[in-house]
Amino acid sequence: MPLVNNKVGDDSTVGKDKALADGQALVDSLIKVVACYRHLASCVGSCTDSLQLRDELRQTREKAQKLAVSTCQHLTSHLRDKSLPEDQRKEMELLWVAFSSSLELLHVDMCKVFKMGDIFSLAETGTLVQTGIQGGGSEVAARALSLPDLNQAEPPAVPAGMESQEQSTLGQEISQIDHMIDDMEMKVNVLRWMVEPHGPQYADPLSSTDSASLGLLTVDEEQPGHQPLCQRSHIFVLLMLFAIVCVAATLSVCIVLFS
Amino acid sequence: MTIRNAIRDHGQRYRPRMVCLKKAEKVLLEMQDPRTGVKSQPQRLVITTIPHAITGEDIIAWLADRFQVDPQEARSFGSMLVALGYIYPLQDHKRLVIKPDASLYRFQTPYFWPTQQWPVEDTDYAIYLAKRNIRKKGILELHEQEQYNRLHKWMNHKWDFIVMQAKEQYRAAKERKKPDRVVFECQERAYWVVHRPPPGTVSGMDYGLERRIDPNADETKTPDFYERIMIFTQQSIMRPRVKSSVSIGALVKYCTTYNSHDPFLSKCLPSNPWLTDDVTLWSLNRLYVDVPTKMRVERWTFSFGELLSDPIGRDGFRLFLKKEFSSENLAFWESCEDLKWGAAATMKEKAQQIYKTFLARGAPRWINIDGKTMEITVSGLRHPHRYVLDAAQTHIYMLMKKDKYGRYIKSPVFKDTMKKAIAPEEHKFTDAQLEQNARNRRPSLSPIILRQQEEEQRAKMAASAPVDITQLCRFTTPVPHLAVYSGITDSPSATASPSLPFLAHTPACPSPISVALDSNSASERRGEASEGGAEGNHEARGPARGSVSKSRVALSLRRLLKRGCTPSTMFASLSPKCHSAAGTSSRIQPISPDEPSQAPPRRIGNFFQIKVDIPPECRIYPIESEDEDEESRAASRGGVGAKEIICPWESLTPHNGTG
Repeated sequence: MPLVNNKVGDDSTVGKDKALADGQALVDSLIKVVACYRHLASCVGSCTDSLQLRDELRQTREKAQKLAVSTCQHLTSHLRDKSLPEDQRKEMELLWVAFSSSLELLHVDMCKVFKMGDIFSLAETGTLVQTGIQGGGSEVAARALSLPDLNQAEPPAVPAGMESQEQSTLGQEISQIDHMIDDMEMKVNVLRWMVEPHGPQYADPLSSTDSASLGLLTVDEEQPGHQPLCQRSHIFVLLMLFAIVCVAATLSVCIVLFS
Repeated sequence: MTIRNAIRDHGQRYRPRMVCLKKAEKVLLEMQDPRTGVKSQPQRLVITTIPHAITGEDIIAWLADRFQVDPQEARSFGSMLVALGYIYPLQDHKRLVIKPDASLYRFQTPYFWPTQQWPVEDTDYAIYLAKRNIRKKGILELHEQEQYNRLHKWMNHKWDFIVMQAKEQYRAAKERKKPDRVVFECQERAYWVVHRPPPGTVSGMDYGLERRIDPNADETKTPDFYERIMIFTQQSIMRPRVKSSVSIGALVKYCTTYNSHDPFLSKCLPSNPWLTDDVTLWSLNRLYVDVPTKMRVERWTFSFGELLSDPIGRDGFRLFLKKEFSSENLAFWESCEDLKWGAAATMKEKAQQIYKTFLARGAPRWINIDGKTMEITVSGLRHPHRYVLDAAQTHIYMLMKKDKYGRYIKSPVFKDTMKKAIAPEEHKFTDAQLEQNARNRRPSLSPIILRQQEEEQRAKMAASAPVDITQLCRFTTPVPHLAVYSGITDSPSATASPSLPFLAHTPACPSPISVALDSNSASERRGEASEGGAEGNHEARGPARGSVSKSRVALSLRRLLKRGCTPSTMFASLSPKCHSAAGTSSRIQPISPDEPSQAPPRRIGNFFQIKVDIPPECRIYPIESEDEDEESRAASRGGVGAKEIICPWESLTPHNGTG
């Protein structure tokens, strides 16, 4: 499966494969950072909006942009290389489509953050919407930046200056992303209708503990006080978990044996 | 530097009816103020509590207080806020209304607010659905499943990205604390309920067409701009003005008359399809139904325009006019409409035909308009355009409206129609049935099929409608694109014409053909057509009796033609027999003496005509004789003062001395 992060495996392959793997890794991390950015962006304007959040947003955005620039260079150079074999080109094009889509998402989110930053200034905390969110996005930002945790001292409160500076920087970055997208389209011609995805139509269910408990939470919203069901579901979930762990183990053994 | 739209949309799109969004945002910011806004309370779940939940009754009370309105209006306003997506319900999340009880709501985070600039993306929707599927497989509802499959088909090239992004977002969400995760999920779900509503629900985000220019933006003051302003003001000054009492009176009258007929303002029977998803109303009120509904018939009494614009009403009116022998008015009006709205290629031809049929001196279906209008029209016809017959058309329209329309409404025929009209029963659907209806909603028939059905209907009606035999002549029998003048069928298309029965009976003149034939055979001593005429007539009689097919009639007519029987004899004999000919018998009589001498060999046989206002000089030529040209036909005309109907703008070649 080409979308699996195969940094584990193929180090011994040809340079081109390595390039593919590199591109894959870059795109994957970009997708991850974009996802985290979206989560952080959803907190802007809410009651947990704070300088810290804005700071985390900035950092995440910078990381995303770095990744974007490097991915762009990497993919552009390889796709403009005429000597690329056909199947590699297909893979590259797939990566390209993924990259451009994530870039578009990033662009939207950045625009939204910019706009909301204009409307919801941190100085007037009364206008921040009470949405029910309690924690900030620190953990998400940590995931984005691939840090174990974020130890950040609260920066000194200079709201106005910092904000406007950040806004203008953000504006510039948005235009930069604009240009990048434009350049991409100019330099490389990828026919989107020719690109065929490899993956499944449905995302596979991941480990089910958290999913089940989250399901419980939302179910409880609808009908508060459904206690006995929880206990039964917990046991069921544990059993499922064991089964899945066994299956995963056997599969990994098979892969190791057959690769 | 511009912040551009994310989907690289180089055309701007503005949704002007969504101006309410800015205002709603202001209200919402006030509402959520912890000090002066709606009182919030924590929501207790099994594992945790989440703050900032508000109750429906608190919202309504706050709104009523803030805007000084009564609770009912505050409730509708609150429901609007929920429908737009600024507040979302925590229980029963699919119904976007405010319930005036202790049910809980929460404010939506600004990221998920509906905004003008960023249209809702299908990519995001696909990611959201994929995320939900990760959480629990098979949780997607039917419509969501369908949407998912559809998106999979249309965004196939991105699908790997979508699945990856869904997984990453899911993993990122897991990093957050549990209550925050729950809240975020509820927020996202609420967002998509607003922007991708389940079928059968009304979406508050319906905003109509998008516009290319932002109507709220300021326009730059260029010379062009000022020129436009000047033109606009000049035209405003030139506009004719009406006293406001008059115009407002007209508006009030219109509203009061049509109030009970408007399905949105008053109850419509059987049920309003927009509310109950049951389309009986529309199927009962299709353009061509056998029996109209009572409301529809009532509308015909409101104004003449209403009557004419409804095809069934028009048909009824046409029948009425036929009985009164003034159907040429309606035929003329219809042909003018045809000219106005028809294709430009055939316009000149049509105008000529109309002139020859209706307006010229000696036309077969001559209409009665005053001299001045006639002058204007004829001079305009030199260079015909679409609206050349407007003056005449208006005159005839007014004539019909003032005189015939009133008579029609009072006539027993109309009263009969009124009595026969159906008044459907009101539907009483239970909630379960309503849901069933919503599920069974299907798109309506394709317009192509609808048009075919209409054509069939029209053909059927034309076939079954009694033919006005008195109107038959070369100009009035349906030629493919000119069939509208015949007064028999509406459709200018050729499909209707084959069904035209040439020799059917009219109620008014009982079997004039047979009468003519009888008299013809009796008086047919003169001219060279005697025996042949009799035989021909006998043959013609055969098909006349029963249902006719055009070809048979044509055959008999051909024989008639060869024998060259003359119309004048028939005229003379027929006129006293038909009661409507009283006034013009003087016109018809003198034909006889000249007849035999002027029967050239190529003369085509003629049909009978008894119509009062058709001058006797007219020859009625059956449709098959198209290969004859004007000259020869003119030559074949006998009778006193029989002038060929030529358009005054054509060259006046003297047609063998008659006239």
